[in-house]
Amino acid sequence: MNAFRFRPRPKVTVAESPVLQAGVPAGDPRTAWRRRCAEYRLVSPANRKKYTVIVVGTGLAGSGVAAALGELGYRVECFTFHDAPRRAHSVAAQGGINAARARKVDGDSLERFVKDTVKGGDFRSREADVWRLGEESIRVIDHMSAIGAPFAREYGGQLATRSFGGVQVSRTYYTRGQTGQQLQIAGAQALLKQVERGTVTLHTRTEMLDLIVADGRAQGIVVRDLVTGELQVVTGHAVVLATGGYGSVYFHSTLAMNSNATATWRAHRRGALFASPSFIQFHPTALPISSKWQSKTTLMSESLRNDGRIWVPVKAGDERAPGDIPEAERDYYLERRYPAFGNLTPRDIASRAARTEIDAGRGVGPLKNSVYLDFRDAISRLGKAVIAERYGNLFEMYHDATGEDPYEVPMRIAPGAHFTMGGLWSDFDQMTSIPGLFVGGEAGNNYHGANRLGANSLLSACVDGWFTLPLAIPNYLAGVTPGPVLESSAPEAKEALENVKRRISKLVGNKGRQRPTTFHRRLGEILYRYCGVMRDAEGLEQGFQEVRELREEFWRDVRVAGAADRLNQELERAGRVADFLELAELMIVDALDRDESCGAHFRVEHASADGEAERDDARWCSVSAWQTDADGNHRRLSEGLRFESVQLQVRN
Amino acid sequence: MAVTGLLFVGFVVVHLFGNLKVFAGADAFDHYAAWLREVGYPLLPKQSVLWALRIVLGLSVLAHIGAAVTLWWRARKARGRHRRRLGGAESQLAGFMLPGGLVIALFILFHLSDLTIGGPGASASFRHPDPNVHAYANLVASFSRPLVACFYSASMLLLAAHIFHGWRTLLQDFGATGARLRRVWVILGGLIALAVVAGNASIPLLVLAGVIS
Amino acid sequence: MLEDATPEMSLLELLDRLNDQLCEQGEEPIAFESDCREGVCGACGVTVNGTPHGPVPNTPSCRQHLRAFGGITKLRIEPLRSAAFPVVRDLVVDRSALDRVIRAGGHVDVMAGTAPDADDMLIGHADAEVALDFAACIGCGACVAACPNGAAHLFAGAKLAHLAMLPHGKVERTRRARAVVETLDEFGPCSSYGECVEVCPAGLPLTAVAAVHREGLRAIFKGK
Repeated sequence: MNAFRFRPRPKVTVAESPVLQAGVPAGDPRTAWRRRCAEYRLVSPANRKKYTVIVVGTGLAGSGVAAALGELGYRVECFTFHDAPRRAHSVAAQGGINAARARKVDGDSLERFVKDTVKGGDFRSREADVWRLGEESIRVIDHMSAIGAPFAREYGGQLATRSFGGVQVSRTYYTRGQTGQQLQIAGAQALLKQVERGTVTLHTRTEMLDLIVADGRAQGIVVRDLVTGELQVVTGHAVVLATGGYGSVYFHSTLAMNSNATATWRAHRRGALFASPSFIQFHPTALPISSKWQSKTTLMSESLRNDGRIWVPVKAGDERAPGDIPEAERDYYLERRYPAFGNLTPRDIASRAARTEIDAGRGVGPLKNSVYLDFRDAISRLGKAVIAERYGNLFEMYHDATGEDPYEVPMRIAPGAHFTMGGLWSDFDQMTSIPGLFVGGEAGNNYHGANRLGANSLLSACVDGWFTLPLAIPNYLAGVTPGPVLESSAPEAKEALENVKRRISKLVGNKGRQRPTTFHRRLGEILYRYCGVMRDAEGLEQGFQEVRELREEFWRDVRVAGAADRLNQELERAGRVADFLELAELMIVDALDRDESCGAHFRVEHASADGEAERDDARWCSVSAWQTDADGNHRRLSEGLRFESVQLQVRN
Repeated sequence: MAVTGLLFVGFVVVHLFGNLKVFAGADAFDHYAAWLREVGYPLLPKQSVLWALRIVLGLSVLAHIGAAVTLWWRARKARGRHRRRLGGAESQLAGFMLPGGLVIALFILFHLSDLTIGGPGASASFRHPDPNVHAYANLVASFSRPLVACFYSASMLLLAAHIFHGWRTLLQDFGATGARLRRVWVILGGLIALAVVAGNASIPLLVLAGVIS
Repeated sequence: MLEDATPEMSLLELLDRLNDQLCEQGEEPIAFESDCREGVCGACGVTVNGTPHGPVPNTPSCRQHLRAFGGITKLRIEPLRSAAFPVVRDLVVDRSALDRVIRAGGHVDVMAGTAPDADDMLIGHADAEVALDFAACIGCGACVAACPNGAAHLFAGAKLAHLAMLPHGKVERTRRARAVVETLDEFGPCSSYGECVEVCPAGLPLTAVAAVHREGLRAIFKGK
């Protein structure tokens, strides 16, 4: 396999569809998970230590599955490129975690959770998986609370909940604005507990660079020690990728600087299907890019839209300060276009509307790339004290990041790439199309369809990590001979190692002039322009071409300073950007191929008269799962979706 | 360190009360000094309580200094090659514990030699108990020397600072996490430090000024 | 050295820019760590003019903006300094000593699936809030680097105090305290300088230090 050469123009083909089977037990999706659990094969306690499971990533899903398998007695080899497991990007989620515990009398129930999630995902998720998500959500809260996450409590001592992300019930459990942090720390310390007990071996500052597939099964990975640069083959009986989403392909995103798609993309190049790569959620209330040097778009909580009013000047290119623009010359476009929701329209609609205004030249700020979120009316109505009580810390954060005081001047916000619903395709057991390769959390694809509901991402990572994979992996292992793992001298392992070596020496030896980051930034610009909040066929074709040219330029002109045999952040970045450049092409291919609008995937050609996304259930009620061959040709397989417990309907 | 420190604070406070007798005149002061030598009598032999205190305090001093040196050494090793420049007032106080403590140790030696043993540094008119005590006269004679009086007063300022920070540290060392206790405790430490300054440090200066003679 | 720094830049963006410039000159960029750049992951941390994280108190390096530096234009940027944090390269240090503290005892022994209903384990609102105050630690290690003694009491105490507040955490409080206090030998002793709370991005209170001794003493008096 040559990772860095592509034909001039890849072939995009479509397989006879539908060909993919997710292995959901036949019958009622409501009970599918319980029935599946009952038929899972088991591994006897005495045999468990004879199995080695490789877990890549220590976020909520990774630390959960590693700790849980360790508790059960399996040998676990766990990898993270961070210096400590706690730093995984799950740590940055603010809002909360949903659970269908339905303790209040506000009409919530497991059924309603499923309905909200499936509808929110615009009917592009797998119904039975969502039922599992809801069912397991109940004990996720119990477990995370027991292992140290101090959830907010009512005065009576019960767990507190709030309503979040546009749902009408109160099912979001939280710890101030740091829910992700508290869950992540609880997970990481549970992982470290197993390290102390000797069931899990933790490898920090170690990055996975390739997957080893032998006898048609995932049996190991190639890793690089980021400190010494040493490459190593690690083999086991199963591999779990819990390596997060690929939103940072957009360069400016709400993701962390080191978030990347290398693990999942390398697995894809080894044969794992990649599902719905074009499904990307853009968060409407991210901070805009105000200068060339800005390194990321910080996320501001969505709750700000409860009291803030979003507007732009009526006149394009209006240079006046916001305070000088009279009421009559302001366009509160969300309130105007969506009177029923006003400023609280769902994320994708709010993002799209903002994009429309900015593209029409009415954007504000130094780079004309944002819209105002104005608290003037709320402050005059409720008083500064009330606003400070509700949003004090957010206002402080904004002030801190931008130097502007939101009590005095309106905030500026812009849509920013945030969450990727797409990922490695997995069956009902969270196993990818490569036997023995499992996936958990945002790296997978199955729960969120074409759009994720707020506070469901922490949930899906926790459910996968603690309650799905620890049941599904033993079922797989029960069919694998215990004992010796693949020899690291096996031809498949050597080939993978050689592949990584070749790639690294190609990168380090390249006689180019530009830093990897430069390419990453340019790739992000292309994607935001052509494969962003709104897409059309013409733009996607153009984007495809530009990504291709950029990739060629990358391999021609990238410069990786420093050597490969020690800590080298340029080299790390270069490898990740190289993979982003390949992934970006598939994202565009998928966006072009999926000739409908659904959820966050908005094709301009498929909009109703009032600008709403129009699904095409007759043709596209399916998940697209892609193959990419050694020459870079893409082939689409699809998994048909059926909805039994939630009626297919237009989102309202 | 905390235990011996607490003992010293107790001692300093008791000593301070004793010292205040100087304001009641020579007779009261000498009477108190004599009482110290025979407290517990006739149940216990004369001077036994005094010597018991001396031994306990002496051992405590050694333990306190020993612990300080150990801490200093451990801290130095843990910090590594790069020293940290100190920031605020509290931090400065903490940093001054070791040098301040050394000066206080020197002061104690001098103080014992000057007013108890009558060794080097004692005033020319120093008199041992015969068996009448001459504590008041010895004190006035000693503090009439300006340099000595200033040294005494300056040492008391150091002692107050040492106690103020040490007292606060007791909170940490004894694991006091209650918010109200912590507030009250810090205020109490401030009052003790203030009392040391107002009571002890003032005596030499007042002698020098001729108010006490 | 950098001509085009702007007040909007964060300290790390300044380093980004510096690295761009170094690369333009054909040199190798300076290695430094950062990840979320939102102040929550704890990956970043450099020493600026002698102060861990930078001149703005209680703010991680990623959120130190040049406009708040009050006219300081000459910055001496070093790695976090402590014998417990060996330098890996340039500004990158090895903070695994902190994870050894957590590994030893900073966890709760409840197996997946065995937890009772969290709504049945009542925790008072105030207790939950206090636990959260201590749980806010981001594990950046600035407390250790700020301490003239290289002590990690703020870090360890925050974890002990956090878990001691929660019903499940209480059960193994004694064992945890012993294990954690033992690992603190790797660091220096606390002399109540209070430098740690000046830099802590999570705003942990000095009470956390007292919690180390409270839990430690409690473990001693509890006996076995």
